Amino acid sequence: MLDAFSRKVVIADAKGSAIGSEDLADIRKYVADANKRIDATLAITQNVSCIASDAIAGMVCENTGLTQPGGHCYPTRRMAACLRDGEIILRYVSYALLAGDASVLEDRCLNGLKETYLALGVPTSNAIRAVEIMKVATVAIMTETNTGRKMFNGINSGSGAQCQDIAAEAASYFDLVIEALS
Amino acid sequence: MKSAVTTVVSAADAAGRFPSMSDFESVKGSFDRAKARLEAAEKLASCLDKFTNLAVDAVYQNGSYEQANKDKCVRDIHHYLRLINYCLVTGGTGPLDEWGISGMREIIRIQLLPTTAYIEAFIFIRDEIKLNDVMSQQAETEFKGLLDYLINALA
Repeated sequence: MLDAFSRKVVIADAKGSAIGSEDLADIRKYVADANKRIDATLAITQNVSCIASDAIAGMVCENTGLTQPGGHCYPTRRMAACLRDGEIILRYVSYALLAGDASVLEDRCLNGLKETYLALGVPTSNAIRAVEIMKVATVAIMTETNTGRKMFNGINSGSGAQCQDIAAEAASYFDLVIEALS
Repeated sequence: MKSAVTTVVSAADAAGRFPSMSDFESVKGSFDRAKARLEAAEKLASCLDKFTNLAVDAVYQNGSYEQANKDKCVRDIHHYLRLINYCLVTGGTGPLDEWGISGMREIIRIQLLPTTAYIEAFIFIRDEIKLNDVMSQQAETEFKGLLDYLINALA
């Protein structure tokens, strides 16, 4: 598993060179934005069940056959598995966001995920839809552009408007999940 | 690779939980020291060749080691300083442990190179070179901490 720091080290080691001023610029930015990053990660961890259940509910609303007998979210045991998986994906996205690198998400969550879903008969198109909703919801919460109650609790950086860049990074991790399932 | 953030994430993943407040605190703690570390890494990268040559010249000057080994010594000291540069960036001893220390002593021995020459060279860099001229006090502390770690590992 890598983070923003060790990623640089692996790249530099492949070239056999030390890490100089140019390569350190990205890392300095990562350190300078650490508070925003922690706030953005908190935006996920504090709203996990909300984000996951909204996404699954949205997915079912768009395709009500899922919860009917014979649907993929019937009976409730399979619906519960779906909610659980939504939370697991959010957990790995939160790790990747904190580390500033996608390797933990790819190695420990996405590697083999599609094959597992195919083997279990999970419809990947519906799973992708749920991830898309989670992505939109997460970005909205991080940037404080969600409607309804305030869900962003900026303990370090203050306001969600400052988390635009980090929210875009989080969106890129959700895109990786979508890509892995497509 | 072990660094401040990956350690926290590994522990959280092993327990299957989301990163907690104490995880964030520990990540933040490592970032507080990051400025000095990154400065040390930057300055070390620019002085890597200089430090290597100064140290090896000083060690081989007094004639107690075979001159034939000098080039190999330069190569290895350069390698170790590069790993220290990586450690300064990651904020942990991961790169040194994984690529520099495990098995390295055996490799030095099998090439019939004297480990004491290496140790002397690192002690020279730590004590004799005026690091203050190139980096700040905090950066120097971070750098010297890793030099001490390596010296102990080789001894």
